[in-house]
Amino acid sequence: MDIGADSVLEGLGEAVLKLDTFGNILYCNQATQIVTNYERSALFGKPIHYLAFDNTDTIKSTYELNAAVSKGKLVVQGWNRRSDGARYWAEMVLTPLYENGEQHTGFACIIRDITERKLEENALLESEERFRLMVEGVQDYSIYMLDVDGNIVTWNEGGQKLTGYTADEIIGKHFSVFYNSNDLSNNKPAIELDTARTVGKYEEEGWRMKKNGSLFWASVVLTALFNDENKLIGFSKVTKDLTEQSIEAATIRQNEERFRMLVEQVTDYAIFMLDEKGRIISWNEGAKRIKGYELQEVTGKYFSIFYPEEEIFNGKPAYELKIARQVGKYEEEGWRIRKDGSRFWANVVITAVYNPDRVLVGFSKVTRDLTERKKAEQIARENSEKYRQIAREMEVINTELSRTNNDLEQFTSIVSHDLQEPLRTVKSFLYLINDRIEKGRIGDIGTYVNKSILAANRMKELIENVLNYSQVSKGQLKTSNLTLNELFDHVLLNLKGTLDTTQAIISVERLDRDAVVGDKVQLTQLFQNLISNAIKFTNGRQPIIRLACTVKDGTTLYSVSDNGIGMDADSTSKIFDPFRRLHEARNYPGAGMGLAICKKVVERHQGRIWVESQPGNGSTFYFTLWETGQKPSTSYEAI
Amino acid sequence: MKQYKLVIVENDEDERFFMREEFEAFEAFDVLGEFVNGDTLFEWLAQNPSDLPDIILSDLNMPGKNGYDIISQIKSNPAYTDVKVIITSTSPVISIREKCLSMGASEYLIKPEIFVDYGQYVKELYRKIDS
Repeated sequence: MDIGADSVLEGLGEAVLKLDTFGNILYCNQATQIVTNYERSALFGKPIHYLAFDNTDTIKSTYELNAAVSKGKLVVQGWNRRSDGARYWAEMVLTPLYENGEQHTGFACIIRDITERKLEENALLESEERFRLMVEGVQDYSIYMLDVDGNIVTWNEGGQKLTGYTADEIIGKHFSVFYNSNDLSNNKPAIELDTARTVGKYEEEGWRMKKNGSLFWASVVLTALFNDENKLIGFSKVTKDLTEQSIEAATIRQNEERFRMLVEQVTDYAIFMLDEKGRIISWNEGAKRIKGYELQEVTGKYFSIFYPEEEIFNGKPAYELKIARQVGKYEEEGWRIRKDGSRFWANVVITAVYNPDRVLVGFSKVTRDLTERKKAEQIARENSEKYRQIAREMEVINTELSRTNNDLEQFTSIVSHDLQEPLRTVKSFLYLINDRIEKGRIGDIGTYVNKSILAANRMKELIENVLNYSQVSKGQLKTSNLTLNELFDHVLLNLKGTLDTTQAIISVERLDRDAVVGDKVQLTQLFQNLISNAIKFTNGRQPIIRLACTVKDGTTLYSVSDNGIGMDADSTSKIFDPFRRLHEARNYPGAGMGLAICKKVVERHQGRIWVESQPGNGSTFYFTLWETGQKPSTSYEAI
Repeated sequence: MKQYKLVIVENDEDERFFMREEFEAFEAFDVLGEFVNGDTLFEWLAQNPSDLPDIILSDLNMPGKNGYDIISQIKSNPAYTDVKVIITSTSPVISIREKCLSMGASEYLIKPEIFVDYGQYVKELYRKIDS
């Protein structure tokens, strides 16, 4: 070895040693001392494994030396121990040395401390390993690597799960196995690779095929991988199955679409959305029909355009939104304005709409046109009022009919009883007269004849009264404008004889209202009957009679009071019946028709008649006129 | 022959006379009294509570308290539970008869054509109440 060579050896950073054929150290350079921390002198003659971590392991070193001989060179890595005990990761290159090309003379040995590089390598490896494990463990994504030609070089669990291929089955295959024939004939896999190669990435959603031939909707990202020298080394491919997600999304989309169509096509209700400020953002058929605006006319407008001016001035639209915001809903009925300016009566529901984060995003507004309904209700009310009116009229007619029926019954009773009685009397006495004549006992005949004449007279009186009574009941009332004073004058003139005989005192106490509308003949008879009763039932006293007319609660109350014999409470309700007499004809002659006629007259003038009395304390007869039903066209006031 | 205590309520004096004649002639009736209307009848009843009649034979139409008044007043007073009211009238009208019976009258008898025919009437009345 010449000096030049020596100096090179000595200058090298790596430890360079020369071993004999047994591996004992014959020479080592300067750097050996730095790498191993042994003095050079301490190393001479030592076997090479003296530098190893286990410096007694001759087996390994022998094997390595043999291997170096047989292979011509051996590179091994492993832990070595320095003189201070510290270890270092050594790369050792063993090269057998020959003399004359055949005689094995020993080994050249180079040792490098590559601890740092190794640690870095390991760290990298470790992280790569972790990453690999992670990728392999991913379940939801198929993640794998392709080589530059598109052959699969790695596989993960997600890939297996998604496609059904195991790593054994798929590695080495071309990724086009995932494509259907249509895609293949379109050369899709190659195009995708080209795209990724050119722009770095290819991304799409599309149908892919599983091992069993079924298709799935895949989201695919194909990324080109380049090394440090920017040379393409392959591709990574990430695939996700969107089938399920896609169905869900499609369903939601479909539902939303259906719902939107449904809302849009509803014509009976105006249904539209407002943004959170109250501007219109959607519109349906019903809104178009009810309000008259087209979508493009209202979009973006404030919903207050539907409100009457005074409501806007009053801040009503804003108020409604405020309430909807506060309590979630606002509901009312009110007038709204169509595009043509006409009004309609609307039922309005405004509902606040929130997104899933409970943030107000706007309002839905549902408006119904109730105008027709209101009109129908009004018509129904009017109809019902009409029917009520008819019912009232029917009731009046019914009352009238049952009164007529009553009258007929009364008349039957009158004919059968009251008229028959005197007839029987006459007949009976005629029989007796005949009997006495036959027997020649004519002494009684005078009495019998007298009784017959009395009975006949009574019968005449009854018939007149019945006729009178029926006269009052029948025919049209001849109403005219009268005054009480003229009626009284007329009555007093008719009764002049009786009044003079009895010396009756008649006073008109009070006349709140002199004017009266009615049938002159009937009203005259009414007052005349009442006054003549007052004169009649006095038990011989001088009659004192008071006439009055007072207005109470808008009703005119007429009264005739006397100082007569009066009557008990039982009798007050009976005395107005036809042929009702409270007293014996001997004391108080009469047919018992006077008050029945009074009652009839009052009823025909749509009033009431009653009496207040106590036995011995006189009576007061009261009556009203025109209390129920319509008054004649001429009112009292007009007179 | 069973005896019945009877009162007659009739406002016509002559009619009353002939009625009484025939009832007394028949001998089955003890005529306790005659009254012109319900007022005088009830006065008498009140004064003679121990001697109540079995039968009140009453006309329907009378001044003062009439036949209807008598039915309702007798039927509404427990003291007169055993007293029968028989209404008699000239009227053959069925509704009047029905009204009397529904108010509580025991019988409704139509008066004879003439006063002097009460003989047959009394026999008929007896037959009805005795059956």
